Amino acid sequence: MKISGTNVVDQPVEKVWDALLDPRVLVATIPGCERLVATGDNAYDMTVTAGVAAIKGTYQGQCTLSDLEEHRGLTMRLSGAGAPGTIDATVQVSFASPAAGSTEISYEADAVVGGMVGGVGQRMLSSVSKRMAGEFFGNVGSAIAGGPVVEPVETPAADAPAGTTFTAPAKASVSSQDDFLKGIAVGAGLVVLGVVVGRLFGRR
Amino acid sequence: MTTKLMGQKVQRVEDQRFLRGNGRYVDDVAVEGGTLHAAVLRSPHAHARILDIDVEAVLDLEGVHAVFTWDDLASCTPQMAEPLPLLIPHPALTHGRTQYALAKDEVNYVGEAIAFVVADDRYIAEDAVGRIRVDYEFLPPVVGIDAARAATSLVHDDVPGNIGARLEQNVGDAPAAIAQAPHRLELDLTVERSACMPMEGRGTVARWDPDLNRLQLWTSTQSSTGVRAAVAVKMGLDLGQVDVITPDVGGGFGVKINHPWPEELLVPMAAKALGRTVKFTEDRREHFISSAHERGQVQHIEVGFDDDGRLLGLDVEFWHDHGAYTPYGLIVPIITSTQLLGPYKPQNYKVVFESLYTNTVIVTPYRGAGRPQGCYAMERTMDAIAAYLGKDRAEVRAVNFIQPDEFPYDQGLIFQDGRELEYDSGDYPAMLEKTKALVGWDEFPAFKAEMAAQGRQVGIGLACYVEGTGVGPYEGAHVHIETSGKVKVATGLTTQGQGHATVFAQLVADELGVKFEDVEVVTGDTRRMPYAVGTFASRAAVMSGSAIHLAAKRAKEKALKIAAEALEADEKDLQIVDGVVSVKGSPGTSIDLGTVSVLSNPLRYAFDEASKAATQFSVGDPGKPPVPEDDEPGLEGKDFYSPERATFASGMHAVIVETDPETAEITILKYAVVHDCGHLINPMIVEGQIHGGVAQGVGGALYERMAYDESGQLLNASFMDFLMPYVTEVPDGIDIDHLETPSPLNPLGIKGAGEAGVIPSAAVFAAAIEDAEGTLHPGMGITAMPISPSELYALRQSHDGKNS
Repeated sequence: MKISGTNVVDQPVEKVWDALLDPRVLVATIPGCERLVATGDNAYDMTVTAGVAAIKGTYQGQCTLSDLEEHRGLTMRLSGAGAPGTIDATVQVSFASPAAGSTEISYEADAVVGGMVGGVGQRMLSSVSKRMAGEFFGNVGSAIAGGPVVEPVETPAADAPAGTTFTAPAKASVSSQDDFLKGIAVGAGLVVLGVVVGRLFGRR
Repeated sequence: MTTKLMGQKVQRVEDQRFLRGNGRYVDDVAVEGGTLHAAVLRSPHAHARILDIDVEAVLDLEGVHAVFTWDDLASCTPQMAEPLPLLIPHPALTHGRTQYALAKDEVNYVGEAIAFVVADDRYIAEDAVGRIRVDYEFLPPVVGIDAARAATSLVHDDVPGNIGARLEQNVGDAPAAIAQAPHRLELDLTVERSACMPMEGRGTVARWDPDLNRLQLWTSTQSSTGVRAAVAVKMGLDLGQVDVITPDVGGGFGVKINHPWPEELLVPMAAKALGRTVKFTEDRREHFISSAHERGQVQHIEVGFDDDGRLLGLDVEFWHDHGAYTPYGLIVPIITSTQLLGPYKPQNYKVVFESLYTNTVIVTPYRGAGRPQGCYAMERTMDAIAAYLGKDRAEVRAVNFIQPDEFPYDQGLIFQDGRELEYDSGDYPAMLEKTKALVGWDEFPAFKAEMAAQGRQVGIGLACYVEGTGVGPYEGAHVHIETSGKVKVATGLTTQGQGHATVFAQLVADELGVKFEDVEVVTGDTRRMPYAVGTFASRAAVMSGSAIHLAAKRAKEKALKIAAEALEADEKDLQIVDGVVSVKGSPGTSIDLGTVSVLSNPLRYAFDEASKAATQFSVGDPGKPPVPEDDEPGLEGKDFYSPERATFASGMHAVIVETDPETAEITILKYAVVHDCGHLINPMIVEGQIHGGVAQGVGGALYERMAYDESGQLLNASFMDFLMPYVTEVPDGIDIDHLETPSPLNPLGIKGAGEAGVIPSAAVFAAAIEDAEGTLHPGMGITAMPISPSELYALRQSHDGKNS
């Protein structure tokens, strides 16, 4: 499925760009993101709890940023799997500065959503994704304004040399009234799952 | 004298049970504690290589008894790890492929079984399934007929062009005839996928009895003997060690004729391995993505005809989407390619199809089984010819009909059973007259004008079909008259709600001369009738009905022989009425059938008053053996019916629809059916079949589709998004008329009726909608079915855009 949208962040494009390449910001701003492990340059393993309609669950997956054109655009590759289903997406992100001190971020995602989420939640997916994107970029704006929000908490085993783990804080910044997003915030407390992920990824 | 029950609207004996919630389905079996429950890990990807399956997280889960992947199958038997059977091989199916009970190395559709977990309950089993980690390497999915034909990617590496089979049949020289014809037309048509969607999905329960060393299996199937044979082969058991019982089945409509499903092997395998009763009950999402679909085809038709619209040559090429595997062979496209001809004589006919692999759910017969697509191709062609010549659509059909004096009529093709496509009987001109009268065909132009004056647009459609029913090879029946006089009847094919217990009892009551209430019918239990084929191709009444009739006749012959001796009368002078054998004309001289049954079984021991009469000091001629040579004890009759070929039912549907000029909403105003299934056993049941078929056809024509995205995900895999018609979408009254041209092929002169109602739906709705739209959007052809209001609206936009 194709999902596209545009969001404006009230911060200059340089700061937004830096923020999006900063795992400390990412872990704090991706809705439902509990844990992010840097596995290389702009490559991460991550744990995200999300829900579409009644189908909620935790996904473990990878995220890589590539084709970086500074302050102009990048490509994000996402893949994840969990009990509710699977996602595999390529997102083209482009940056523009319509006015000084403001950044317009446009994204076009081509996503393959499988499993129960794909079959049963499909008609909700588009609106849920857009809402999550809005939430994400809103969070990015707040994070830039408030400074870095997370410090690395752990250095994992030697067989993952690039690995630096970032764990989400209690998400005070999630302010949506929506029950669905509250569900995500609650899910952020499930740090224990991150240990399982670390072990799984550590074996590769 | 008892009234003959054949042809009577006898109330269904099943309904009290069903309506009061006393039906007993597979999930109602083995409800005791101690039964283990299974869940299946299914592929979330349409096409991927399996790199690794990690079940470690499941192993220590409390309540989990076993988890199986492909690697574990060979521990049952080597053949369990082999691909599932290809049930119906065909020489043209050069690249047939079937899946494994659990995927080995590769998955080819979303929903393909990968791992099987058995646990204390379904909750634990599903939680465990969620913990299994599978590493996949994605492969490009092939979705839809266009992608399959393009063959940029392959579903199976070793199947070039994604072509499983290519089959051509010719009668005469169609291309030459078309080239020389005064008029020629070409049509390109498509039909989308839909599915049977029975209310009860698949389900299997198995219990291994270590004391008897045998397996009992309950499964929601259309062929209990088929499942039995498959399970025995795969588990390395003798047929005699496996009993398959089909309890009440909440609808089949074709999908349950495919077997064995992976679960039908995995459940008994687990039951034997664990020594516990194991149950699998499919949920709705699983039914959408792991049972079977049908209907998807793309068709190209070339036709040549004369000034009257008479066919001179018909050249049809179509592409059939058979999904990821071909367990059921080529049955569906073969039926499309042969039954396409309907009641017509094409003079010269060429048909060629390619059966194509896609990374989607498998395709096996769904009620109609390829005929709806064939009827759609032929009837859209008839409509196109009429439009081209400016003739009445009914007239064009009439000039092409096979005439009543031309039967038996050999179409010169080979049908789905490997036999000639030879129609046994029918009267298509009479049927057309009935249909026109029933729907008001000749009065319709006036009605249309009247509606137009009110700003409303209405259209009428007509579609004809011929349906080969009652295909072989055989069915059998056993009729047993108990000493109580009650009659127990068993036939091996299964029942999915058709009312077999009613119609079969009618036949027995008539033939044997017993009370209808005294007859009890059992179907689909291999313990009672181990030889059977199954319920498909509208064959139950024809095949088992005939077999039951013959078996009852045998039981009657035996009863009369014994009674004649007891009454010291001639067999020819005896009659059986309401279970009493008497001498015609002297009602005082009589004997109950129950007593005859007692006498049929010479006894040494008496157990009750009745059996005393049969003991050695009471009966028997001392000069003869108690059981005569060439005879058997017991009052029973067994027989089989195996016809040379199928019998061909026929029908015509006509519908009047209204389409909203603004919103494109489609409303059914009138639906008329004329149907010929030979002699009717129970007109109420036949009409019920037609109602159900029409309802399912309305769904298939106007609402249902399988919405696959380009990555092979089924987007509408729930009843939230897959639209089945409610009673509100089905026409209030369906006008039905019958024609009865008996079949010469069976003793009762009957033909099948189960699938008929759904066959002409796509054709008849397309025709009626096209007719309704013709005034405002002249020349706009309806060539893709099903059609929704949104699609009709979009079609108007693009058509008007092109022509402005």
